[in-house]
Amino acid sequence: MSEPAALEHPAFAFVRASGGIAEYRHRGNGLTVLLLAEGAAPVATLMVTYRVGSRNEGAGLTGATHLLEHLMFKGTERFNRDAGTSVFQVLQRVGGQINATTWYDRTNYYALLPSEHLPLAVEIEADRMRGARVRDVDLDSERTVVLNELDRGENEPFRRLLHAVFAAAFFAHPYGHPVIGWRSDVETVTASGLRHFYDTYYWPSNATVSVIGQFDPAAALDLLDEHFGRLPAGPGGSGDGAEPLAVPAAATREPEQAGERRVVVKQAGQLGHVLLGYKAPAGLDADADALDVLATLLGTGKSARLYRRLTDRGLTTHAFAYYPRLRDPALFMLYAALAPDATHAEVEAELKAVLADVAREGVTENELARARRQVVADEAFGRDGPYAAAAQLNEAIAVGDWTLFSTYRTRIEAVTAEAVQAAAARVADEDRLTVGWYVPTGGDAPGEEG
Amino acid sequence: MTEDPLLTPDRRVLAGTPTLAEQVVEAEVGAARLWLLRTEVRDVVSFRGSLEPAPDLATEDDLAQALLVDLLDKGTRQRDRFALAEALEGRGAELSFYTDALRIGFGGRALAADLPDVLALLAEQLREPALDEAEFDKAKKQAIAAVRQAMDAPASQAAGALSRRLYPPDHPNYIRTPEAEIARLTALTIEDVRRFHAARVGGDGLRIALVGDLDPQRTARAVEGVLGDWAAHGQPARFADEATPTAPGRADVAIADRPNLNVRLGHPLALRRQHDDYLAVFAANFALGGNFSARLMQTVRDAHGLTYSIGSMLRGVTVEHGGHWLVHVTLSGPNLERGVEATRAVVQQFVEEGIGADELGAVQETLAGQHVVGMATTGGLAARLLTNAERGFDVGYLDRYPDLVRALTPEAVTDAARRHFRPGDLHTVVAGTLPA
Repeated sequence: MSEPAALEHPAFAFVRASGGIAEYRHRGNGLTVLLLAEGAAPVATLMVTYRVGSRNEGAGLTGATHLLEHLMFKGTERFNRDAGTSVFQVLQRVGGQINATTWYDRTNYYALLPSEHLPLAVEIEADRMRGARVRDVDLDSERTVVLNELDRGENEPFRRLLHAVFAAAFFAHPYGHPVIGWRSDVETVTASGLRHFYDTYYWPSNATVSVIGQFDPAAALDLLDEHFGRLPAGPGGSGDGAEPLAVPAAATREPEQAGERRVVVKQAGQLGHVLLGYKAPAGLDADADALDVLATLLGTGKSARLYRRLTDRGLTTHAFAYYPRLRDPALFMLYAALAPDATHAEVEAELKAVLADVAREGVTENELARARRQVVADEAFGRDGPYAAAAQLNEAIAVGDWTLFSTYRTRIEAVTAEAVQAAAARVADEDRLTVGWYVPTGGDAPGEEG
Repeated sequence: MTEDPLLTPDRRVLAGTPTLAEQVVEAEVGAARLWLLRTEVRDVVSFRGSLEPAPDLATEDDLAQALLVDLLDKGTRQRDRFALAEALEGRGAELSFYTDALRIGFGGRALAADLPDVLALLAEQLREPALDEAEFDKAKKQAIAAVRQAMDAPASQAAGALSRRLYPPDHPNYIRTPEAEIARLTALTIEDVRRFHAARVGGDGLRIALVGDLDPQRTARAVEGVLGDWAAHGQPARFADEATPTAPGRADVAIADRPNLNVRLGHPLALRRQHDDYLAVFAANFALGGNFSARLMQTVRDAHGLTYSIGSMLRGVTVEHGGHWLVHVTLSGPNLERGVEATRAVVQQFVEEGIGADELGAVQETLAGQHVVGMATTGGLAARLLTNAERGFDVGYLDRYPDLVRALTPEAVTDAARRHFRPGDLHTVVAGTLPA
């Protein structure tokens, strides 16, 4: 792919280009900007990624990142519901799809909208980067919204099990608590606590603004400078735009796990689930690409090993492998939803055997070729419309290197069968495994009245 | 700055571009009708299609149809399920099938160079599925497991309970109780599925929209080569097309350990998709509960903080049959009654007040903008072309749609809302762990 030309701009310094994406840094406040001007339709996505997630939360403040994400929609002095100009009112009115998500290492806000309305989205995001009100009254009403969201998660077996496995796998590191937070923290956090969080992390030097889709790059830089350029860098930012502020290191390193851990979640219900979480390296580790390939060839499609060994044999209704590439070491997971007659023990044994087989015997060239081809196709599909690319880019920013997105195809194509086997051998250590069983109890049919 | 500073030069040229109607190539190949659109995307083609097997819902053909769809990717006469999966996944292509009562649908995407091969696979799966008994047994077990999993999900149970209050069993929108569904699945045999495929599945109503990096003529020929000679069965579907609601009332579905309650309010609509009132009713509903800026979200969530999720929609309304107006909200146990009351109050007030000019203006701009955004991907475009074709609308309707929406007046929308929305007739269904 030809790389975009480096634009000369008084406010922005060109940093590098990769995979059609140009990176710029604001000379005044260190804001990082990524431009991917490519798209067949007249739409664009504006996304702001803050390098703050549940990883940055300590005891008593779990869920703060997510709750703050909600309050960011409650308004600023300029854009708010009382004035009829809330983010949703303004951007949905022009057809924008707007939302935000919070995850372990990052929080992102995005708007996918007709290109001619991009200035409006830029104005709003710049305004709320430092102008969010985060008022007590807003927290009062939003707290119950988030508690209801938390209850929604409690309804879902997979989410309950995921939370339990992470909590057992991580005693010390903040990945051990759910991104949405523990209920009592959500119930008691104060607006001043959230404001402190906001004032620590919501600054240009801790953010990356991405523009993706059909737009003119030079005009976009003008626009971004006009609105974001006036904001101060933030605490610790050099102000000269030399480097973005590094995300503060997580306070605690997880002690080495020495021995299998087991956790059982019981809930009234019908069918069981099993989740295995093996300790796995951080997203920028040299083995991470091979683990991505491993997850694909184990879990994606009906050719995959998990499908063949479990679902096709009637043991599970579905099964997949999941390796979230996070900033700190996390988990390589194998998950299965049990078929009615299957037992937890046999499904657990089969899941373990699938991974152990790869660690011992390796993978075939055919499997490897298929996994690579899937990645190549996914990359092409990812460029079909400006949202898929934004979502993928967001995770790369969060893990600490956005070129993980732009160089993905090349790197995956370089992964060898030996590397996949070695990566499987590295994670398939049952002393560093947390086993989760979701065990349904009761199993009564829903009782309908009325 | 120029008028549209963020539009690339290419786009400015495109601003005077042909309409969709001018760009989409329509073709007939055998019984199939095709809508083909080349876009500027590189290497990717998405497709969406459907056919009309014409089930008899009184004899519960829907289950044979559903199991058939589950078996389409489990082998053909030429290759077993793994060879089939390899053929697709080895190309990084995606192809999936679904059933929606009156239709069997499919969708997928492929790299442009692989499209002819993927179309050949699609045809092979539709026309010559193996329908192997062992695979059927597995699929049946999976289908029963899915029903059991849904028994724990308040949303599924609330939707089912509401449907049973509104529709007769042979209406496409009717959902059986889990027990009835499991009993009927258990009784289903592979012979039922084989008979259904032999008698009911053919080129009837076969429509395919293909969008992306494609040459329309070559693509049409590729489809013709694999589906052009597929015969039609010529049988009509049999089903009830109108609701038969019970008296408005409330049903509670108790599910243990599910603290988040799913609440659904609904009543049937005397409306089809082609009805003159449809767009006005759609716009009215959108103002009430179509997105985050709508009244329900702004009031019950944003101002009162009672819910994470609330909205309203016109559900299951097609050109063939009627559907219902649905207001849905999720509530934690302690907020249940207050939340239902607040929701009903917003609905009542909306119908009484009608829609204001500003409010309608916002809805009109939103819908027009969404129309553009929704067509930003090849998959989105293909889906819209297919849905439009299934409704029997011409492609030009997609071009006219923003103008039709903008032509709505507050008076017309308010009148339509009052004609079709009757808050007093709303049924209430609550599913989850009910507060003591």
